[in-house]
Amino acid sequence: MMEIEITINGRKRRFDVEPNKLLLNLVRDDLHLTGTKYGCGIGECGACTVHLDGEAVLSCMVLAVDADGRTVDTIEGVADVNNLDPVQEAYIEEGAIQCGFCTPGFVMTTKALLAENPDPSEAEIREYLKGNYCRCTGYVNIVRAVQSAARKLGS
Amino acid sequence: MTINKVNTHIVPIEFEYHAPGSLDEAVGLLERYGEEAQILAGGTDLIPQMKQRKAEPKHVVNIKRIPGLACIEETPDGFRIGALAKLRAVELSPQIKEKIPLLSEAAQSIGSVQIRNLGTIGGNICNASPSADMATPLLVLDATVHIYGRDGAKTCSIAEFFQGGGDINLGRGEFVTGFTVPFPPVGAGSAFEKVGWTTFDIATVNVAAVVTLKGGKIDHCSIALGACSPAPVRGVLAEAALIGKEPSAEALEEAVEFIAACVEPRERWRRAPPEYRRRSSKALAMDALSRAIERARRFP
Amino acid sequence: MFASDMSLPNMLYGRVLKSAHSHARVKAMDVAGAEAMGAVTLTPDEVPDVVYCPRLVSIPEATYRDWRVLTDKPRYVGEPIGAVAAESEEEAQRALEAVEVEYEVLGASFDALDAMRPEAEAIHERIYLEDDLLDVESNVGCALDITEGDPKALEDADVVIERTYRTNRRYHNQLEPKSVLVRPEPDGGVSIWSTTQTIHNTRLLIHDIYGIPVGKIRVYKVALGGSFGSSIHVNPVVNIAVGLALKSGRPVKMSYTREEDIRDHCSYQMIFKLKLGANRDGKLAGGRLEAYLDIGAHQIQAYPLLGCVVGWWVSLYKLPYVEYTGKAVYTNKVPSCAFRGYGNPQITWVVETMMDELAGELGVDPLDFRLNNYIGEGDLFWGQGPSVKSIIRSCGVEEILTKGAEMVDWYNRPKAGAQTGRFRRGWGVGRGYHTSSAGAPVPSSIVDFGGAMLKMNEDGTFDYVSALMDHGCGTQDAHVKIVAEELCVPVEKVNIIKADTGTTIYDVCTHASRGVYSGGGAALKVAGKVKTQIREFAGRILDAYPHAVRIRYDEEGDRTVVYAEGIEGREVTYREVAETARHKNWGTVSALESYRQPSCPPHFTGYFIEVEVDTWTGKVKPLRVVAGADIGTVINPLLAAGQVHGGMAQGWSMSLLEDTPYDPETGDLVNGGSIANYKVPTSNDLLDLDDFTVFFADTYEPTGPFGAKGLGEGALNPVAGTVANAIQDALGVRFFELPITPIKVLEALREKEG
Repeated sequence: MMEIEITINGRKRRFDVEPNKLLLNLVRDDLHLTGTKYGCGIGECGACTVHLDGEAVLSCMVLAVDADGRTVDTIEGVADVNNLDPVQEAYIEEGAIQCGFCTPGFVMTTKALLAENPDPSEAEIREYLKGNYCRCTGYVNIVRAVQSAARKLGS
Repeated sequence: MTINKVNTHIVPIEFEYHAPGSLDEAVGLLERYGEEAQILAGGTDLIPQMKQRKAEPKHVVNIKRIPGLACIEETPDGFRIGALAKLRAVELSPQIKEKIPLLSEAAQSIGSVQIRNLGTIGGNICNASPSADMATPLLVLDATVHIYGRDGAKTCSIAEFFQGGGDINLGRGEFVTGFTVPFPPVGAGSAFEKVGWTTFDIATVNVAAVVTLKGGKIDHCSIALGACSPAPVRGVLAEAALIGKEPSAEALEEAVEFIAACVEPRERWRRAPPEYRRRSSKALAMDALSRAIERARRFP
Repeated sequence: MFASDMSLPNMLYGRVLKSAHSHARVKAMDVAGAEAMGAVTLTPDEVPDVVYCPRLVSIPEATYRDWRVLTDKPRYVGEPIGAVAAESEEEAQRALEAVEVEYEVLGASFDALDAMRPEAEAIHERIYLEDDLLDVESNVGCALDITEGDPKALEDADVVIERTYRTNRRYHNQLEPKSVLVRPEPDGGVSIWSTTQTIHNTRLLIHDIYGIPVGKIRVYKVALGGSFGSSIHVNPVVNIAVGLALKSGRPVKMSYTREEDIRDHCSYQMIFKLKLGANRDGKLAGGRLEAYLDIGAHQIQAYPLLGCVVGWWVSLYKLPYVEYTGKAVYTNKVPSCAFRGYGNPQITWVVETMMDELAGELGVDPLDFRLNNYIGEGDLFWGQGPSVKSIIRSCGVEEILTKGAEMVDWYNRPKAGAQTGRFRRGWGVGRGYHTSSAGAPVPSSIVDFGGAMLKMNEDGTFDYVSALMDHGCGTQDAHVKIVAEELCVPVEKVNIIKADTGTTIYDVCTHASRGVYSGGGAALKVAGKVKTQIREFAGRILDAYPHAVRIRYDEEGDRTVVYAEGIEGREVTYREVAETARHKNWGTVSALESYRQPSCPPHFTGYFIEVEVDTWTGKVKPLRVVAGADIGTVINPLLAAGQVHGGMAQGWSMSLLEDTPYDPETGDLVNGGSIANYKVPTSNDLLDLDDFTVFFADTYEPTGPFGAKGLGEGALNPVAGTVANAIQDALGVRFFELPITPIKVLEALREKEG
């Protein structure tokens, strides 16, 4: 067991973890933050995307001990109590959510994109999102949602 | 019976975890545990391998606590890039984009943003995959690998580093601390090309090329091919065929005819048969050389 | 909340023990090591000796049974032969690894045609149909032959083409791996949260296997992370988890890993021998189809599929003569199940490919050839098989094809076959359809009805309760729109209530693109009844005749008003109606109805696709897509377009990328269970927004709710045929095997051009 400290969604938390514990499972099983999904476990689908020190990463490939002393943000930290985040709003308004299982990962990647590049071209959006896999939408409405979110955040 | 041992929900093996704070401490651990130890850097290869029981280390040595291994520094001879430099950092570094755009281009082709935010250049190289996308740029640029071991720091050329068949030139206790990547010759144009089944895929073939022109003729040419031989290789015959020639379509066509002789794709590689790799490595060589020449032409 | 997100206090984590061999007898299984670690174990002799079929959509006469919860004769690598449960996933994993199994390895077949050879090892010796135990000959699980019309029509045809085709075997790759949480209840029952397209059939199957009274099994609706047909049948993991929960007396959660999921289900690989004839007048003369369906190691819905394959085929184009022989063949591979389109994308690829070839032989434009032969309004149609016939009442085929042709300037497209450069472009056209539900005017071999409950709340809003699952196709959203439209309220006034088998009446399943058409039909029926009651109560309050009162939504006051036209003061809001009904003890305005649709009208689709082929790498790129769909009234344009976008992406992937071949040496998937070796398109591999146009035909389906039909499957069905035709147009090469990978493209070009 190792003691680690992680700031999760703005709150500092301490955990005792085994070194083989994945950040994904710390978030889902210990913190019950189930918005972050297991989709493949090997970095192919992006459903487990969280922000580690502000950068989008795959929590299925990060050991919890490696997040010691760092900041982790999950989909649960995106919206405040009363309002959805503009990115979430845009996904709903543009019909970008079908089954919804990939959506948290997409929203986290989209937030990282727009933080880096507030006015991305379509090609930049498609390139940035290519590590997030969606089987339902064919990505059309997702790309539109990202464009719409960029407009919302820009105005 | 691996089928019941694989579990990608978790890391289904137990290991002792070490996070050395210095190079010497890391060497001590690696020497002590030898084959039982694996280095953890970005984790994008090691963690899936552990889940799939392709790697079952008893000791995991996380080297990310060792200071200074993630540097990207410009020196008079080129860039010093630490083994722990994130692929994303290599991709986005404004200095690299300006001085060695080939590195940035190759880094950008790897995985996804999320993977490049974790994966490191050292990991990409030390995983020893024939398809490693950073290998071909390092080969065409004659990069130097910095290695640390019991006797301190040493170097070896990238060409010597790859030994084929998934082997790399590291002794017991040794590990890679970084690379020196020389600047390409003045006026060089470069290009990286890759084919996979989707744009988020490992390379079925990848190619890097660097070309300079002098008096309308090809003065310097280096080309490297990945995923079509047991280790990434230089296309020396094609290089020789081009140097001193005018960069005409005919010259290029003649040169890429030599590519098939430079590569040795293996029958047992499942993604694509040797014939496909031979043909597409030729196509990609043509693309990379054409683009590199095009870029070299832009040099005043 | 998805099934894989759920947890309960005191819960155990379950893991499945999977067969390491493609065909074997388990001679011994030693679980002592696992039990010594404190794990609960489950072996084949501890589950009920019941042979079942996991899909309960067809009537028993059409349902072959060959499954057990855990088998001691595994027939594919990955088949569950045991299970463990422990306090954590890690402990369960360790216990799993401690189980020792001794196998006697048997011969195996990995190809349908090989499996039919006399020397092939029998995969099943006997299977059940109702109470009969049937002998399995040549590994053929079931068969269907149909002949209609005069064979002379085909014999005398001016042009005849005969070809053999082979489809790929695709993995659904739905985002959420199959998962279940089971809680044993003190009354001997169980509560279940699982990945399913049907809560009621899940309950029925658990009842059949474990003998628990139906009313003591509660299956709850939870969100489903994609499915595409892979949970029409009850997923095997559900049945196993129930066994573990009953044995341990504790809640058990089982979530498949991706590598388990890819060894759990896949589409049907099909081998077709198709012969089609046509005459110089541009009309089809008839056809003969031999279909060999590789069903894997067990039957999920092979027999109904044999009927659908012929149904899909004969309902595309008018064929004066039809001869069909279909065989469903066992192989030692993962059991195949429905995958969006249920055989339709496969047969449509074949037919649309051959329609182009025939048009070429006849010297007519492939688009005109289609317009000259399609089955449309007024024609008899039996897409869902020979027992599900009805007459088409709405058809937008002509509109889709002519409008699409205009949009892409079809008749002026560059002539094919002349290109010699590295990058070559081509256009393809293809069309298709799918049924909306499996309804029919008479009973058929398919169960197809649903039900819904609607009640008016005391504030004038409504609660809608239905067992129909929504797995991301916008089904529930469409139901709400239908109810809201009928009752003149904004959609926010209709609540979707979380439901389970105990609080809903039976609905068969969300499949066959029936969610909007059939489920929406039930929604409209209860909304109509509720509206009648509202009129009744309002009439009493207003002292007006119920049939004469009118209803309107007052936007300013955000209320719905019932009024007697032209008579001042005679109006009452929904809220007042509900309150008055309560105060005067009239009761709750509510309705509960079962509903079966009298037909299963086809929704039609058509695609125009332009591709560019890199003849040096074999890679194919989409350049432009125009897709038209006739879905009757479009209830939600955004989500409907989303179905087409998703259909295009899956169809593109089917055409070029996806396959799950086996390695006969290991008996396992060549990809080793890793989706790193099972690529599907990313956002970066498809079309730019400006290059993808979706339009809807202006039609009205008289039997559908507000004129609506389904869409989910028709959106996919024509894509592979269209892409194949575009590649042929670009290269002058026709492919008879899917997927058309870069490797195959280069091989074919080398053969053609050296």
